[in-house]
Order: sequence, then C-alpha cells, then structure tokens
Amino acid sequence: MNLRPYVYATGLVLVLAAVLLALPPRSAGQVKLAAGSFFVPLFSAEAGLQRVRNYAADKTATREELLEQNQRLALTNEVLRIQIQQLRATAEENKVLRIQVAFAATNQWKLRLGQVIGRDPSNWWRTLQINLGSRHGVREGLPVLTPDGLVGRVHEVHPNRSRVALIGDPACRLSINVLPSRENGILTADGATVFDHTIVNLQFLPAHTGARAGDPVVTSGLGRLFPRGIPVGKLLSVAPAPGALNSNARVKLAVDSSRLNEVWVILP
Amino acid sequence: MKTFYTLGLLVIALFALYLTATLEWPQRITGTRIDPLPALMVCAALRAPLRALTVLAVLGSLWQTSLSADPPGISMIPLFAVGVAVSLNRRAIHTRLWSARFAVGAAAGALVPLATVGTLLALGREPLLGWFSLWQLAVISLASGLLALLFFPLLQWLDKTVENQPLAAPYDTTTLIKRTPH
Repeated sequence: MNLRPYVYATGLVLVLAAVLLALPPRSAGQVKLAAGSFFVPLFSAEAGLQRVRNYAADKTATREELLEQNQRLALTNEVLRIQIQQLRATAEENKVLRIQVAFAATNQWKLRLGQVIGRDPSNWWRTLQINLGSRHGVREGLPVLTPDGLVGRVHEVHPNRSRVALIGDPACRLSINVLPSRENGILTADGATVFDHTIVNLQFLPAHTGARAGDPVVTSGLGRLFPRGIPVGKLLSVAPAPGALNSNARVKLAVDSSRLNEVWVILP
Repeated sequence: MKTFYTLGLLVIALFALYLTATLEWPQRITGTRIDPLPALMVCAALRAPLRALTVLAVLGSLWQTSLSADPPGISMIPLFAVGVAVSLNRRAIHTRLWSARFAVGAAAGALVPLATVGTLLALGREPLLGWFSLWQLAVISLASGLLALLFFPLLQWLDKTVENQPLAAPYDTTTLIKRTPH
C-alpha cells in the first residue's frame, strides 16, 4: 500500500490544527465566525418555519380561545398596573434616600428580547446561542436573564448571534450575596453540575456562616459585571467548615437553562 | 477524488451538527449531547478516498467548534486519526456484519471525545468534568455505534447515487450462444 498520501495528509492536518490552536482569541473568533456562517441558512430556515407555524396557529385559534386569552391578559395587566403604582412610590422614596446618603443613582435596565437558537454541542461547556449580536447592540460581558432569574453572561459576540456562557460554565463565575445574612461567595461549577446543570457550587462563604438551606441567593454587584440583586437561586445545602478559612454550599439555580426559548439581555 | 460524494458527506455532517445543537430531547433523556462526527468519519473512511476524509476532519471540526465554546479545530486531529486508522484497515473490517459496524462506530465515539478533552486539558482549559462524564462517554459511545449503523447505508446510497460505478458487462456472460449454419 502506498502510504505517502497518508503521510502528506497527516502533516497537513497537524500543521493546520497547530496553527488554529495557536491563534490569538480575536483571530480564533473570526475563524469560528467564518465556519459558523455555513449554519446561517439553517438557522434562518428554522426562524422562517417558526413564523409560518405561529401564523398558522394564529389563523386556527378559535374565537372562544382568543376571548379567554384576552380576559386573562386584561386581568394580568390590571395586577401589574397596581404593582407598578406601588413600585413607583418605592422608587421615589429610594431616589430621595439615595440623595440623602449620597449614593449613585441607579439606571433603568435597557432590555432586549433574544431567542435561543442553539446549544453547545459538546458536553464539557455550558453555553447557548441567541439571535442577538453586535448589530443589536450586544457586547461581551452583558448579563442575560429571564423573569425567574439570572441565566449567564454574553461570552462571544458575532454580528447576528452571540454565545451566552451559562451560570456553571467556567467562563461565568460570579459573586453573589446570600440573603438575609448578606454573606458573599463565588459561584463555580463542579462535578455535580455535570450531573444536574441546575446545581452549582458556592465557595468562599465565611467559615462560621449563618446561611441556611433555602436562603435566596442574588447577584452581589461586585465587579460591576452584573447589577446587584438579580435572583440566582436558593441554597440547597451548606457545609460549614469549622477550623477552615471558609465554607462551601450547593445552590439550586432559579432558571433551568435546558427549557429556555427566550432570554433578555441587559443592554448598556 | 469523489467530488459529489464528498460534498454529500459534508452536507450530512452540517445537518447532523445543526441537529445536535438544536435538538434538546437527547440531552433531556440521557443527560448527554451526542457527537455525530466520529460515526460519520468511520462510515466515510470505509469507502471514501483520503482527501474526502481530510476535508471532513477539517471542516467538520471547524463547524462543530463554531457552535461550541471549544477552541477552533480542537477535534480535528482525533477525527482525522480515527479516519486514517479505519481507512488503513478497511479490508480487515467485516462491513457486512452489523456488529462490526457498531463496534467500530462505538470505539470511535469513545476515542474522539476522550482525545478532545485530553487536548483541552493539555492546552490549560478547564472543561466541566465529573463522575457523570463517564456516563456521558458511555452514552456517546453507544449512540455513535447506532449512528454508524444509520450512516453506513446512507453513505452507500449516496455513493451509488452521485458517483459513477464500474460498468457491468452489458450482456449475459454465462450463456453461450451457438449459431448454427443455415
């Protein structure tokens, strides 16, 4: 058997792989963008199919269903309007108090709705792709959330899509507060996250922690990557470590990322 | 080079990767994302020329990593190595036996992710690993064996459909025609 073609092909693949793996992050991103452009027609076709499906569903909905839905939405609308009135008063009070104690004013979030268009095909990262990119004002590091809580942060931005590193991915470690004790800790992934992606590890709690199972966990705002107070999840268990410098805990995340179809990005 | 066959192979790889990234139910049922490329590479290596295998390893790996947080081309060498190993030993593999196809597909399905994770660790990355990763490896291996059973007839059909086959004699060679004088 003539082995020369195999030697040449092996050499070619080895050189190509070495060059690709040695690329700086920016060039690697461009290579991924170019390779990912092959999937654009498939993602576009799926979006088109979804529109057709929605159109067909709209056309086939009965009058009774629509009336019932309308009634339900009107009720929700009224409840939300009352809640907004209550919150407006709280916000006014908060504004006055902030001025009195010389705290910086908080800005309102500028949100943009994105659709989940794909998930990481490998088993060792926890990322997903959304249909918002730099053309929609998305930048690297922006927080991504749902009404239930924090999802992760934007990790890679392309013109029309972005990759979101989910909580539990090594690229999305975050500082949190445990309520009501207000103790700080860092959320990281561990072996348990591979088994159940809604469970993450909480490190660097104080050694004699007052945190208990069931306590809510929110973003701390430290590092200015995530705004303060976004719900993250609840403490599942706490392992106090007497004699050690700090304790660890397990956190059950508020958002199950495997069931996500839509997410909100907080724009700058 | 079988140009149309190679193009067909790439289209199948593109669709398979797209489905891996968008279908959620395999992950919900097994807790694992299935990698279709090792099974496809094995089936391709049983019939395709070396150039087609090289193109599949390079483009397949780049496409896969474009949908993932992996560095570009991380699985290129493992995929190509599997392709070359099967291609060099294609006469030793009893492709008519389902069990042989399944075994080769399953072995490739286990080796490629192992080598890819090894490369990631060697590069100083921190992939998410735990005891459950062993279960995921077993599922990927099993699924890869099953996918090999699916891809083999598909690629056989593709080869027959888009490439010229060696022509058979246009007459029956077993019958002797004896002409008698008038």
